[in-house]
Amino acid sequence: MTGRHASLMVTCLGDLFFPEVGVSIVRLLGKLGVTVDVPADQTCCGLPLFNSGYHAEAAAVARRTVSLFKDSEHVVVPSGSCAWMVKHEYPGLLANGALARESAQLAARAHEFSQFLVRVLGVTEFISAVPGRVTYHDSCHLLRGLHESQSPRTLLGKLKGAELVPLTGADECCGFGGSFAVRLPEVSSQILAKKVANIEATGADCLVACDAGCLMQMGGGLTRKKSRVRALHLAELLDGDR
Amino acid sequence: MTTKAEFLGRIRDQVRRTPGLFAAAAARRPQHPAAEAETIRRELAERWPETLEAFRREFESVGGVFYKVGSVDMVPAVVARIAHEREAREIVAWHSSALGADLAPALGARGLDVHQMPAAEPVGAAERERLRAIAARADLGLTGVDLAIAETGTLVLVSGAGRPRSTSLLPPCHIAVFDRTALVESLRQVGVVLEAWHGDGTPPARGAVINFITGPSRTADIELTLTRGVHGPKDVHAIFVEQGLRG
Amino acid sequence: MSDGELATPFRQRAGGAMKDTFLQEALTIATTKFIGLRREAFAGFPEGEALRDQARAIKEATLQDLDRHLETLIANVERLGGHVHYAATPAEARSIVVDIARRTGARMAVKSKSMATEEIHLNEALEAAGVTPVETDLGEYIIQLAHERPSHIIAPAIHKTKGQVAELFSRELKRPAEPDPEALTRIARGELREKFLQADLGITGANFAVADTGTIVLVTNEGNGRMVTSLPRVHVAVMGVEKVVPSLTDLMVFLAILAKSATGQKLSVYTSLVQGPRREGELEGPEEFHLVLLDGGRVAQIGGPLREALSCLRCGACLNVCPVYRQIGGHAYGYTYPGPIGILLTAMMEGTPAVKDLAHASSLCGACADACPVRIDIPRMLIDLRREVDERKIAPWTERVAFKLLARLLQHPRLYRVAVRAGRLLQRPFAGSGRISRLPLFFGEWTRTRDLPPVASRTFQERWASDRDLRA
Repeated sequence: MTGRHASLMVTCLGDLFFPEVGVSIVRLLGKLGVTVDVPADQTCCGLPLFNSGYHAEAAAVARRTVSLFKDSEHVVVPSGSCAWMVKHEYPGLLANGALARESAQLAARAHEFSQFLVRVLGVTEFISAVPGRVTYHDSCHLLRGLHESQSPRTLLGKLKGAELVPLTGADECCGFGGSFAVRLPEVSSQILAKKVANIEATGADCLVACDAGCLMQMGGGLTRKKSRVRALHLAELLDGDR
Repeated sequence: MTTKAEFLGRIRDQVRRTPGLFAAAAARRPQHPAAEAETIRRELAERWPETLEAFRREFESVGGVFYKVGSVDMVPAVVARIAHEREAREIVAWHSSALGADLAPALGARGLDVHQMPAAEPVGAAERERLRAIAARADLGLTGVDLAIAETGTLVLVSGAGRPRSTSLLPPCHIAVFDRTALVESLRQVGVVLEAWHGDGTPPARGAVINFITGPSRTADIELTLTRGVHGPKDVHAIFVEQGLRG
Repeated sequence: MSDGELATPFRQRAGGAMKDTFLQEALTIATTKFIGLRREAFAGFPEGEALRDQARAIKEATLQDLDRHLETLIANVERLGGHVHYAATPAEARSIVVDIARRTGARMAVKSKSMATEEIHLNEALEAAGVTPVETDLGEYIIQLAHERPSHIIAPAIHKTKGQVAELFSRELKRPAEPDPEALTRIARGELREKFLQADLGITGANFAVADTGTIVLVTNEGNGRMVTSLPRVHVAVMGVEKVVPSLTDLMVFLAILAKSATGQKLSVYTSLVQGPRREGELEGPEEFHLVLLDGGRVAQIGGPLREALSCLRCGACLNVCPVYRQIGGHAYGYTYPGPIGILLTAMMEGTPAVKDLAHASSLCGACADACPVRIDIPRMLIDLRREVDERKIAPWTERVAFKLLARLLQHPRLYRVAVRAGRLLQRPFAGSGRISRLPLFFGEWTRTRDLPPVASRTFQERWASDRDLRA
């Protein structure tokens, strides 16, 4: 396990709103013998621009990101949607430019966090930071974009001190959708209300997801409702061995 | 108004404009469908009991009622029983040449009013009206079956002389009589048979419609509550004749 | 709902739909049920995935040669004694059908469920020409009596309670009607039986047309499709050009997956292969058969960005899984076709400006693409529509400026850091207890129903730069 190097793509939402997730990832990977670097001056993968149709602008941001990570052996991305953007959309966006090769390389070297642990490092056993029942929500881009439903569940299933309980409609959207959440806030909120009801029905202490957008949406709904359920990123939950 | 040439010309222009999204091909048609259909028939002849059992299961799961009798002269008793269950008397039936058996006398002897559809095309609108009124009034419709698809529990009926569409459509109860020669296993095999009928094979009849019937008429349009017998029959019965229909 | 409601922004219509308690309950029950049925059907059907791939390939291959396949279809329909007509626009299609009705002296037309005829607003044109159109699919019959449009592609009246239907029947049919689906179905059966037997003209759509054989395929459950194509003297089928498939062998691939995707059935109750008018020896069947081929915006997409949407089988699976459709139902979309595919079809048929709001009626969750039997990548085309809306400056200038500002910020780390510091400052009045529960202006759209985490007092990158022990 020693001798591995990985760069952390912290993501804009992660950097601004959930710095503790980045901290947990650095700690966890460090303990696994992975040397982590964080290329300076990261901003965003460009997904918000891309999804709203501003593709020239998204490409400019993508070019910058590709340059920042061009020397990375592995790139760990704590968000399914950002990982999807880098792996699936960057090559097409930058196909005809100077960074075509680098963008294809980055696409191959980027991994969503749970996929990096399970499929690249082959490590699956951790100690839970929060004892009790946890339930897992499948983020749309991780589930349908990256076809990943198993790695997070493997990690949660083997998590010492935590019991994984299933979430009804785990594969249903939380209603975030980026700008959708504020363009159609009534619809987004009603989708969220149903998701929150399902979460509370599990009796779990903790809701886990692998995407900052989903966590903002669901976490925001849970605290507004003064729910006892905490919304955590997978990395925070796995970081129990302090 | 747009002419055919203009209409197709616009499409041609668009088609030429792009190579398309990816390399793709349509399904491969059987090269000799009649021969392939014959092979299917021969292979199925060996395992008809399993195919029949699969058919029965699927047919019942879509709400059909299945019967098995040894010989064709046991069919009238079953039909009569179905009729008596409904306090029904009037039956409209395919012509005996289409049914594969002449059941009218035996049914008549059991107190049922059988109206056989003529083998030849009716002459004149009045005659057509009369026959249609019979079908619309009848309690039961008795037909044969051209294909019975085990995969889906489906009865396939080809229209034509002596085998009108209304017999399996207008009366509230449809009774279909068939034997092992109608059995096919899958939709894929049906495709081969249809290609054969269209191509160098011989279809059972030369009407303009082939109807696939999978259980009784149904809808769930009101509050998703399933109800049967919307416009078509409320009951579908299939009588399998083990020893075969035609002699 | 008339097109006058389009004056209301989509968001308001969506809001209205979410306040309709019965609609909400009906939507949850119906979509959940359809999702379960579809899942079960494919779970027990391992060949399904390969068939979906094959179906997708057949649709694409057909488009690559569409003119040739249509020529084959036309030749075969004519060989069988049918007539083919060419409608570039909905207006032409209406005019063709009305002409046929007039020429054949039709006074009443029975209609089998056809989204294409809804799309071209055929019923109004028939009525104006003195021909009474009677919808015979139970759901369509209900909404016709109610003067409404369908709210779901395959279950048009799913938004109505049995009580509402009973009340409707009592009022319009002037007879007592119990709020019981069986009883109501019996009433409809009786009323419509008469119409089938008396009608001069039968009008349908077509789920498929087989080029090789000149066959029109109708997939139904009630029996009305068979009635409409067997009893009246004249049969007219209105069909989008993209519905043609090359052969009967191709057809079976689609039949294997269509009903499963729509309702979970292995096959619909009736699949009717109609080959031209009545033949020699037949007791029943129309004397005349007419196929109206409809462009209506489809042809331009063969070489256009919405090409993939031409593969749509009109199964409704994408509606059932769409988180937006499930909250707001079909009418809120404001056009003939609702749901994810509906947004693309509306763009196709009404032009991109018509969907400037609808293109954003999606969280891009991808459930639609997953459920689609022919794997149409709906989210990709929604993003492309959004791009077109931006590039053609149909989106409001305020939004375009905001996004371009955001793009600038994301390309310049110094600006990004300035924005972070500004964010921290501006949020101070709101970030009291470690979470933000109220924000002014546009940001209130979020905080009305959800809390927001505050911008961290130290971002991750700031911590990484200054915390030695983090980097160790």
